[in-house]
Amino acid sequence: MIDEILRAAEKITDETEILLARSESIGADLKQNDIAIGNRTQGFGLIIRVINNGKIGVSCTDNPDSWKKCLDAALVSSRFADPIPWKGLPGPENLSQEPLAYDNRITPDPDLIMELISQLKSGSDKYPANITSGSASLAWSEHTLANSNGLLYSVKGTSAHISLEMIAGQSTGFEHDASWNLDLIDPEKTGEKAAFFASKGQGGEEIKTGSYDVIFSPTAFSQLLDAAIIPALSGRNVHTGRSFFAGKSGQMVAHEAISVIDDPFDTRGLANCAWDGEGMPVKKIPFIENGILKSYAYDLRTAYRYDQTPTASAVRLGQSGAPSIGNHNLVLSGPEISVFDEKGIFVHDLIGAHTANPMSGDFSVELSSPFFAHDGELCEPIRTGMISGNIFEILFRIEGCSKDTRTLGSSIIPYVRISDLTVIGRGS
Amino acid sequence: MTIPYRYYDIRRVSGEVTQIDVDNGKVDQAGTSFFDKAVIRVLGDKGWGVFSVSGKEADCEKLSENFIREAYATSKVTTVDITIKDTPSSIHSVPSMRENPADVSLDEKVSILLDLYKSIEGRDIVSRRINFIEKDETVSFSDSHGHFYEYHLCRNGFSIMAVASRSGIVQMGYERDHTISGLNIRHRYDLAHEAANRAEHLLDARPCKGGIMHAVLDPELAGVFAHEAVGHASEGDLVKEGSSILKGKIGETIGSPLLTIVDDPSLTEFGFCPVDDEGSETKRTDIIKNGILMSYLHSKETLASMGNGDAGHCRGMPGIEPIVRMSNTFIENGDSTYDEIIETCKSGILLKGSRGGQVDPGRGMFQFNAEYGYIIQNGELTDMVRDVSLSGEILQTLHSISLVGNDLALHPGYCGKGGQTVPVTDGSPHLLLNNAVVGGCEID
Repeated sequence: MIDEILRAAEKITDETEILLARSESIGADLKQNDIAIGNRTQGFGLIIRVINNGKIGVSCTDNPDSWKKCLDAALVSSRFADPIPWKGLPGPENLSQEPLAYDNRITPDPDLIMELISQLKSGSDKYPANITSGSASLAWSEHTLANSNGLLYSVKGTSAHISLEMIAGQSTGFEHDASWNLDLIDPEKTGEKAAFFASKGQGGEEIKTGSYDVIFSPTAFSQLLDAAIIPALSGRNVHTGRSFFAGKSGQMVAHEAISVIDDPFDTRGLANCAWDGEGMPVKKIPFIENGILKSYAYDLRTAYRYDQTPTASAVRLGQSGAPSIGNHNLVLSGPEISVFDEKGIFVHDLIGAHTANPMSGDFSVELSSPFFAHDGELCEPIRTGMISGNIFEILFRIEGCSKDTRTLGSSIIPYVRISDLTVIGRGS
Repeated sequence: MTIPYRYYDIRRVSGEVTQIDVDNGKVDQAGTSFFDKAVIRVLGDKGWGVFSVSGKEADCEKLSENFIREAYATSKVTTVDITIKDTPSSIHSVPSMRENPADVSLDEKVSILLDLYKSIEGRDIVSRRINFIEKDETVSFSDSHGHFYEYHLCRNGFSIMAVASRSGIVQMGYERDHTISGLNIRHRYDLAHEAANRAEHLLDARPCKGGIMHAVLDPELAGVFAHEAVGHASEGDLVKEGSSILKGKIGETIGSPLLTIVDDPSLTEFGFCPVDDEGSETKRTDIIKNGILMSYLHSKETLASMGNGDAGHCRGMPGIEPIVRMSNTFIENGDSTYDEIIETCKSGILLKGSRGGQVDPGRGMFQFNAEYGYIIQNGELTDMVRDVSLSGEILQTLHSISLVGNDLALHPGYCGKGGQTVPVTDGSPHLLLNNAVVGGCEID
């Protein structure tokens, strides 16, 4: 089909790009102690992008038979786009097409799903709490990217995902885990942690409003990164006046020991691949190095439009299938300390992180599963609390990071300890 | 061999999505994509088997036995006996549109938006963007009881973003409108001006001081409050799983006697469902009436196991199994005027506009964020503040509603749950909350 589309497009476009994705998954949903739903999905996606005189058009379909309609729609779309100084799609390079995120033990095997669920449940028995819901799923995909410059890359991938939600009294606990590799997920531990937070979170006292040291879990900190830091690194937001980081290149934007680096080949990544969503060879991009803002993220369109060097930061998300600016494995690192030694408020998750102001970085969100931590452990549970601050300022107030990290989507994040944050409490 | 299913249904959704992105005066993207997805659910010996495939393979009117067999096979991992309740099944007609977006060329839509774009103006405005989306879909449904429905619905809408900047401060004004009643982008200069003015005014607004205070919520934000604090906790699946603090509270007074909260999927607003996604008739459900918890929102399954409420609230994205969802959720009018509410508040904060919210219904905690607000002193509005969040415990907060306004207004939006996003409206009149927890960086 790829050849057929490229031939049909040849005479009517300057350049054409095709992304073909096939996927399949199986899974099961736990409701309380039992499996209530078994599911299986088959997916297909075709995205066609055409470029004519620097005008980019795109369309996608989930029906392979309708590729002609999709190509026509991409052509129509290109007529409306404003032209940019387009410098061409990439040609083929000698990249390894060896899958970097493929585990051949992940197969559509219902027994494997049952095993994951049973390990989740066995882990959850470590602390007294009730399961409300949970899930296990396994997925395979194959992506083929081709363009009219002769590029043709194809890669297979797998993923396994588990999650568990529990409750004890009015205390809830949620934990999840995901990897391309079965050995890198730990259903027992996932179950145990969900049970820990539900069970040990009971009986928390209200705290007084004040200024506290706060230890963010990787999950909680990644939500703040997603809300404002990652959008501010996007070249498109920088050049259109929507980024706090615009005009700050070369300046200190974080504590001097903090680095934020996109490392596409970090072995902790969930879906490593040698090329990005447009077929550009990926490489390490230091966004923030030792506190200094070094680079922004660019896809081809944005780099060409603003005369910048592309950074191979294109990802494929969203409804239109068009490439957009993202990152591969965003690694946050800082001075390693024992984050739980000194007394501070630990927060496992945030309620409402997406409501942060993406321009200014101001946020105030409710804490989920908060505890006082000290002497290396999570100790007394806290009933409620609302934390307020500014995400960009927080980067200067990072006291240290744990050695342990978690991979959450396309971010690799440690536990992060921040000094002097405002927490609004309900205690008196 | 016949397949020993107890029930099956199939829902196919096919259609087109048109998106236009006007960014800083340039058409960044304008075009159409296509989708066609089907999901087959079978109730097997124990629980559900769900099979999602491309829609072109699945004929709703005459579902092939192979698909039923596939879905039945996936139910084999289930370990719990699930029963469902027979529910009334019928379809409401879809209201006709004033101007069908499909009748307007892409060319014309682009020029309307480019024209609208010019109205986002102001001295400190540094960035302007308009996004338009039109989703035209045909939904077909059939089940093993012989019901068959097909309807066509077009949702379209747009958002306007204005960014203002001065002396290192960057602020944003955001306006949006989505509808099922036809093309809504003509002559919307008011929203463009509003977004630009808001962004500029926010440059001079001060950060909010956090603490416990009286809060007046505007209709948009109070609608989000109804949705987050009460709507989710009344969803039958969460109640059944034990992750709602409203479990076991039917018939109890859980809030102020002034409070009535409704979810009505049959209302022809943005969350309209002509029939729900498992074939049940849709109608108004009073969740809370005069402060008393009356009903949960249900699917056929959660109605069978929990009772107390109505089915007809089960919705899914194309190709994904439906779950219990809200549609058009609102607080009914009370009899206080806006002026009375501000005057009675006396000292506190007026919160306006919404950047969304979230809830943990098991723990009973919610949070939501206002785009801006005004400090109320001596019963009058004074300084503008920015980035104000409010959080609270559901049960406590419902009792702390001391006045309900008479100016109900609905606002369209989207709601996410279990990885699925569906169109909804939220609405309310102005509300006065006593002793609310307001977030802010500055404290006394």
